[in-house]
Amino acid sequence: MSNDDKTGRQASDAMSAADRAALAKRASEIGAKIESAKGRHATPHHGDQSQGNAMAKGLKISAELIGGVVVGGGLGWLLDKWLGTFPWLFILFFLLGSAAGMLNIVRQAQREKTPPAPSVKDDEDDK
Amino acid sequence: MASGGGGHSPIEQFALQTLMPLKVFGIDASITNSTVFMIGAVGLICTFLHFATQNASVVPGRLQSAAEMVYDFVAGTVRDNLDDGHEGKKFLPFVFALFAFVLVCNFLGMIPGFFTVTSHIVITAALALLVISAVLIYGFAKHGVSFLKLFVPSGVPAWLLPILVPIEIISFVSRPVSLSVRLFANMLAGHIALKIFAGFVGTLLAAGAWSILSPLPLALTTALTALELLVAFLQAYVFAVLTCVYLSDAVHGAH
Repeated sequence: MSNDDKTGRQASDAMSAADRAALAKRASEIGAKIESAKGRHATPHHGDQSQGNAMAKGLKISAELIGGVVVGGGLGWLLDKWLGTFPWLFILFFLLGSAAGMLNIVRQAQREKTPPAPSVKDDEDDK
Repeated sequence: MASGGGGHSPIEQFALQTLMPLKVFGIDASITNSTVFMIGAVGLICTFLHFATQNASVVPGRLQSAAEMVYDFVAGTVRDNLDDGHEGKKFLPFVFALFAFVLVCNFLGMIPGFFTVTSHIVITAALALLVISAVLIYGFAKHGVSFLKLFVPSGVPAWLLPILVPIEIISFVSRPVSLSVRLFANMLAGHIALKIFAGFVGTLLAAGAWSILSPLPLALTTALTALELLVAFLQAYVFAVLTCVYLSDAVHGAH
């Protein structure tokens, strides 16, 4: 960085005072333009993003319950088929699967609510 | 089908066509239209990244800044959901590859007449199994047997454990299921809806005086296309986020 500054200063020394003033003026103009462009883009972009994020959250959570119920029911059905105890294990695992689906949804919702960094620190404390 | 219009069924677009029969050690490894689009997607990503990084400069050109945007986006996702240190960096190529593949496959499917690779559960299930195998292998490699503590919630009375441990195990096993079903079902449903509404345009046009109504489904199809483009991106994003979340269990161990 300091090297760049030095070479930059040498180059500007070579320029005439008028050139330097013009350059500084242009730089400040460009800076102002960039700032105004940033300001223009900031609000609508943020709105888009939060809406997209909300939709992403919805899409994420909708499948969790299905996954839990399908895996629970499937596991129970397979165990029943294997042990010949239909329908008792199917019923039991179907309920457990529903609970697992709900647990997944609650976990997802909690993760959205709290930033991940502090919860990671808590994990390290537990050990 | 009558409702499909033009004699096309709305699910015909998902049919696999064998283009080049091929058998490898008795396994059917034929080149199908799905294979072609997967190769196409990977080729597209590689070509894009190759040309974007070919003349890399400090002040990026158009292609390079597009590639840097994608990289920054995935890197930010990994930082937020997995780990913001060295271990997050280790998984960045994996997450980036998954995200790019799903994204490009989803977008390719939005081009009329193109095949949607991600609308087949066998593809999404394979990707989800890849993720969950990475979680299991890395988790056991890093934490050993104590990785199993993932299934034993801490701070719970012992008599509750016989109920809670099966729930935790089912919850873990349901992850690849929900991961694959979510992507596949969204792409399948979206494309069927598009096809049906587009079919209504043709059916109405052929229905005499009712053809006055045909712009209605056309407008709806246009709106659905926009929505599907958003869903195509969001599904790739959700897939990447959940990959990070699941990997974070492997990196950080029991919670």
